[in-house]
Amino acid sequence: MATNTANPLAEEFAFDIGGPVAKYWVALLRVITGWYFFHAGVTKIIESGFNYAGATGYLQGMTGTALGPLPVWMANNLAWLVKPGVPLFETLIGLGIMFGALTRLAAFGGAIFMTLFWVGNGGYGHGLVTGDFQTLLIFVTLAALAAGRYYGLDAVLEQTALVERHPKLKYLLG
Amino acid sequence: MRDTITTTIDKAAMALGGGLILLGVVGLGIVEVLAGPPYGAAPTTNDAGEVIATPMVDANLRVFLVVAGLVVLLAWQVYRIAATAGGEDATQRVEMTAD
Repeated sequence: MATNTANPLAEEFAFDIGGPVAKYWVALLRVITGWYFFHAGVTKIIESGFNYAGATGYLQGMTGTALGPLPVWMANNLAWLVKPGVPLFETLIGLGIMFGALTRLAAFGGAIFMTLFWVGNGGYGHGLVTGDFQTLLIFVTLAALAAGRYYGLDAVLEQTALVERHPKLKYLLG
Repeated sequence: MRDTITTTIDKAAMALGGGLILLGVVGLGIVEVLAGPPYGAAPTTNDAGEVIATPMVDANLRVFLVVAGLVVLLAWQVYRIAATAGGEDATQRVEMTAD
């Protein structure tokens, strides 16, 4: 793939080697990963509305992890944000990734979620590279590859006058 | 080597392979959500282990569709390997007479 290392915001990002097959596969990977999060979020909304109590219970169970007291502190002090935030953000992240809109911002959010799942679910019996960690890597990869530019809405959004005037928005799009 | 997708076979394989995968994961996933609980792909059981609700679409069917899509994509790439010309040594060998 071709990148302009002098000014990454001016890059004409494109796959040169993989060509159309790479674009096709990145788009497919994006939709499936987005569906994974959208499904997780929207079914929580259907079942619990924007008051998902399981979120704080999950965080309170994360004692003795690499994240130290942070998850338990979040459960005790940020319940007002966590209970509605988990289903809402999972749904929005899923939609953003699926449709390739604000892909890098959505992928960042997905990586935050997957970091908590990776640490919280543990299960390192077969090593640190678990399924949760693999999904975390997929989100990072989607952001790194600017996956929303391939059959995604970011390809259109990046052509708008707003983004032309403020190219740093490409750190959130792409 | 720059990859190019030009033939009808290429386009058909991409559409069929990706379509089967997306149908199995996303398409029937939407059906499953709209059909009501259980929203996952596995039956719901009570504490006694008895099945109290089953998904509308059999998970095995969805998995089969995804695997079929992957097989289509694999077969397509095998075809491309076989059909792509190139790799032959383009250098012509010329008989040289000894001095």
